Order: sequence, then structure tokens, then C-alpha cells
Amino acid sequence: MPVSEQVREEVLEFLYREAEAVDAGRFEEWLDLMTDDVQYRMPVRLTRERGEAPDRSDQMQFFWDDRQTLELRVRRLRTDFAWAEDPPSRTRHFVSNVRIAPGPQADELNVRSYVLIYRNRGDVAGYELISGERHDVLRKARGGWRLARREFIVDQAMLGVMNLGIFV
Amino acid sequence: MSAPTLNLEGMPGRLAEVRPEQGQIPGFVFSDPEIYRLEQDAIFGKCWLFVAHESEIPSPGDYVTRSMGEHPVIVARDEDGRIRVLLNVCRHRGMRICRVDLGNSSHFRCPYHGFTYKNTGELIGIPFQNEIYGSDLDKSRFGLVPARSESYAGLVFATWDERAEPLRDYLGPMAWYLDLLVGRAEMDVIGPPMRHEMAANWKLPAENFASDAYHTLHTHASAAEIGLTPSAKWAKDGFHISAGHGHGVMVGAPAARFIFAEELLPQFARRLSPEQMTVLRQMAHMPGTVFPNLSFLISAVTLKGRFVSHTELFQWQPLGPDRIEEHTWFLVERDAPSDWKELSRQAFVLTFGPSGVLSQDDTENFTNITRNTRGAVAGRLSFLYEMGRGGRPMTGFAGPGEVYEGKYNEANARAFYRRWLNLLHAAA
Repeated sequence: MPVSEQVREEVLEFLYREAEAVDAGRFEEWLDLMTDDVQYRMPVRLTRERGEAPDRSDQMQFFWDDRQTLELRVRRLRTDFAWAEDPPSRTRHFVSNVRIAPGPQADELNVRSYVLIYRNRGDVAGYELISGERHDVLRKARGGWRLARREFIVDQAMLGVMNLGIFV
Repeated sequence: MSAPTLNLEGMPGRLAEVRPEQGQIPGFVFSDPEIYRLEQDAIFGKCWLFVAHESEIPSPGDYVTRSMGEHPVIVARDEDGRIRVLLNVCRHRGMRICRVDLGNSSHFRCPYHGFTYKNTGELIGIPFQNEIYGSDLDKSRFGLVPARSESYAGLVFATWDERAEPLRDYLGPMAWYLDLLVGRAEMDVIGPPMRHEMAANWKLPAENFASDAYHTLHTHASAAEIGLTPSAKWAKDGFHISAGHGHGVMVGAPAARFIFAEELLPQFARRLSPEQMTVLRQMAHMPGTVFPNLSFLISAVTLKGRFVSHTELFQWQPLGPDRIEEHTWFLVERDAPSDWKELSRQAFVLTFGPSGVLSQDDTENFTNITRNTRGAVAGRLSFLYEMGRGGRPMTGFAGPGEVYEGKYNEANARAFYRRWLNLLHAAA
């Protein structure tokens, strides 16, 4: 069942706004885009033989976060001791291939998208790339769309990043 | 130990600049390609190296693929339940035989020409063998190269050195502390290890976990600011323990309260000695490194109004003088209450996985130091490893090793580099 043009427009606007908030370091604004019961996950990806499911772990995840722990992460970034991101990385979240379907609840949507995250630090020309697919659930709350669930399916079993000091 | 002479051109003079007992470690050891090349044989070709926890391969046929230094290996439980560590290199042309992270199989077939090996390493099949090699090819000469393997407290180690001392002797006093780490209860590794690459020399994180409680004060000050730890100097008090053969461990103490699940006390007491129970009861946290590249941590935080500890293993796999893969395993007591297990796992992910709010800041240090020491000037600089030098070990601590009171000390780093230096000399 396709969603309306109007809804599609709102969802795209949401995803772009979210990307802008994290890339600009407006983390409090980013948190405001989450529901109070948000689940924020990033399963460890595995190399397995074709057909030998699953190729990702529900037992171990690079992010295992909820509203409380996301707030802790943001509060940490605002201390004077968050060395991994101070000076901050330059990041760019490119979001594409957006597909929207009705969600688990009446006021929810399943939103899938491809994401490419560019990250550069300090005075080196080299950069880190994180590619993946988001499986999001958006919910109408507090007068707009809010992120209720994110599962970020990363396209590496061996992450090519020194840390995950940034959000996906 | 052979005499400290090295044939490699230019190396003897340079290694003479490494003076662990004087607290002088020059920067070039963290970035020099020649040092790195030496280490591959002298350290990673000789030492016992961690490859897996037994709970990762519980059933016959289970296997995981791992590394021993730069060597890819298969760690498999054969049909008799015995753990085999096999070089993941086909004897015919050197192709990687197993190209996945884990699975269950009684045999492995090389994708190149179809050579087939049992999970014991035995070569059992060559396509058209009789037609192409005749009838007298002795397949028993071409099994997968086995590494010698032994386990301690569920930790599987392997070595390429046929003449290596038994694992228990290699571990020395460290075994006592590994009992606290992973022998205190039936422990399970939960899920696969987290893996990521980092532009750092492998010795920097190894040394850090073995010896450096001091960095927590500043590097990890944010953890106190957001209430995960009670204060920035939470890791100052306790014991700094040189556990023999370059191994180092630190026991944070005293604990404000018991950091493990109370329900498991009877199991802990059954499995540990009274002396070990004394240390377990007062433990606030416990980082350490088994030489050369297996680090570990028991840490405790306040999360969601609850106090919970978490236990993990870290391995620093060398990929070059300035590159490592970090592998991180989370372990938990099999019989802990399920809500405790869940909170423990969440506390681990939040603090010490790649997204961990403590480990993130460590990576900034490790990568910057590695890059800094590439220059000739910084490479010749002798860094300051003198903390606690001349201090005397205490007596009366319940555990073995050379024990120093107070965790801010660098005795373990000095012992780490002494062991490192001895191994490089011995190989030359």
C-alpha cells in the first residue's frame, strides 16, 4: 500500500532534517526528533556462506541505545573532555533510496533508506566511510514525525572506522 | 635467553635506546617498519596468542576464523570435541580455505582446486588425485599446518613455537587473575566479537590496559561528568600488579559495593580460592594485558539507576606498524539473572565497544601517538615511563605477582617492554 505524496514529502523532509542536525552538531535538536521510547541499534555484521542466515547478530550490536543512553552520549559530547569528537569530525550523511510503507501501528511508518556517511578528522586528507541501510520506524508524535526505532545495517564486518563517536 | 646481540643492520644501536628499567621507551618502537617486521617472528611467531573462547565453538564442527599475528587461522572443534587451530592456507597454492567468520562443518574445501580437509586438518580429498599425481602421493604430508593449542579457564591460546613452554607456565601468576576474569563462573561470549580497524601500533593499547590507570583521570574525565563513574579519579586506588612474563593487571579497590550479581556468590565461592574471593569482593574494576596482545577488563558503571559490571576481552591484531584490527568480545556469567545480563551488555556497548564513550577517547590517543612517532625527532625521543620507579612491591596482598599499592604506576609498562626487548634479542 503506497503512502501519499504528502506523507512521502514529510518523511524525506524528516530524514534530511535529521542528517542536517547531526552533521551540524546540533545534537539536542537531533534528540528532539526521537520518541521517548526510541530504540537505536546497529547489529554486528558477519561474513557467512550464502544462505547460511543470519549475516548479522541480534546478540551483539555496535549501538544498543535508547533515549536515556542517547542523552548520555549527547551530554558527554557537551563536556570539555570528549576528545574523540573535540575537535569534531566533519561528517556528511547522504540519504537515498527511500522506501516508505505502513508501519507496525496505525500512526507509524516503516522507512527504509540507504545511507553513506563521510567522516574526516584533523589535518589528514584521508576519510572514513560508513555505508549501510536504515530500517526505521517513524511515528507521529509531538506534532510531527519522530524516530521510534532505527536499525542500521552496516555494510562491513570489519568496520573501517577508528571509533563510532558519531551517529548513524 | 640468548645474548643480546642483533645482526640486523642499525638495529642493535636503536634497540639499546629502549631502556625499560630506566623508564625510557623511544618513540620509534611505535612506528618503525623494521621493528614491526622483527616482531612478527620474535613475538607473534613465538608467544601464546589468544584465538577464541571455548563458548564460541561449543559443538563438534563449530568453527570461527581468527588471526595469530598476520596469520589467518581456523579454530575448529573436531568431531571428537578437541579444539584444533589450523593455518587457513591451502597446502597446494596458498588459497584461503575458509572465507567466512563462523559456521559448522566437518570439513573445509579450498575454492581454488577443490582440495578438501577434515576439521582436524587432515587432507582427505584431491580431485582426480590418481590421474594427475599417480598413486603414490602421500596426502598425510599435506595437512593444514596446525598451531599448538591449549586452553586456560575457557580461553583458547595457540602458538607457532613447537618448543614453547606449556600455556600455564607462560601465563605464570597471570593465571590467578584470569580465574577472577573468566573462571569465577561459567562464562559465555555473547554474539560475535566487534571488529574495527584503527591506525595505531598494537603495543599502545596493550600497554595501556596492562599499566595505565593514570590516563583515566583525564582521558576519561567525561565518564565522571555524565555520572557513569563516581569521580574522575575513580581508577586511582587499588593495586598495580606485574604478573610475570610481561603480563600486567590492575585491581581497582576498594569497591563501594559488590560489582557482580549477588545471586552468583555461591558459584564464585565454589570456583575460586578464599584468597581469590577476598580480591573479588573488594574489586571495583580490573583491566590487564596478557602479553603480547590480549587485553581484558572488568568494569562497573551506574546505568539507569542501577549498578552493574561488565566483562570483556580485547585483542590488538597487528596489520602493520601503524595499523591494527581491534576485536572485542563481551562475556557474561551464564547463570546471572537475565535482566542483569541485559544491563551488563548495554553498559559494555555504551562504554567499551567501538561506540563506547570511554574507548572512543582511547582511540584518539593511540592513533595520534602512532602518527607522531613516525618523524625522526619524535622517533628518537625517549618517553617518560618512570612513574613508580624505585618503588618497592608490597606484601600482604592476597594475589601473586609483584604488587604495588596504588594504581597510578608504570611498573607494568616497564615489565611489558622488558619482555618485548628480551624476545627481540632472543630472535636475533
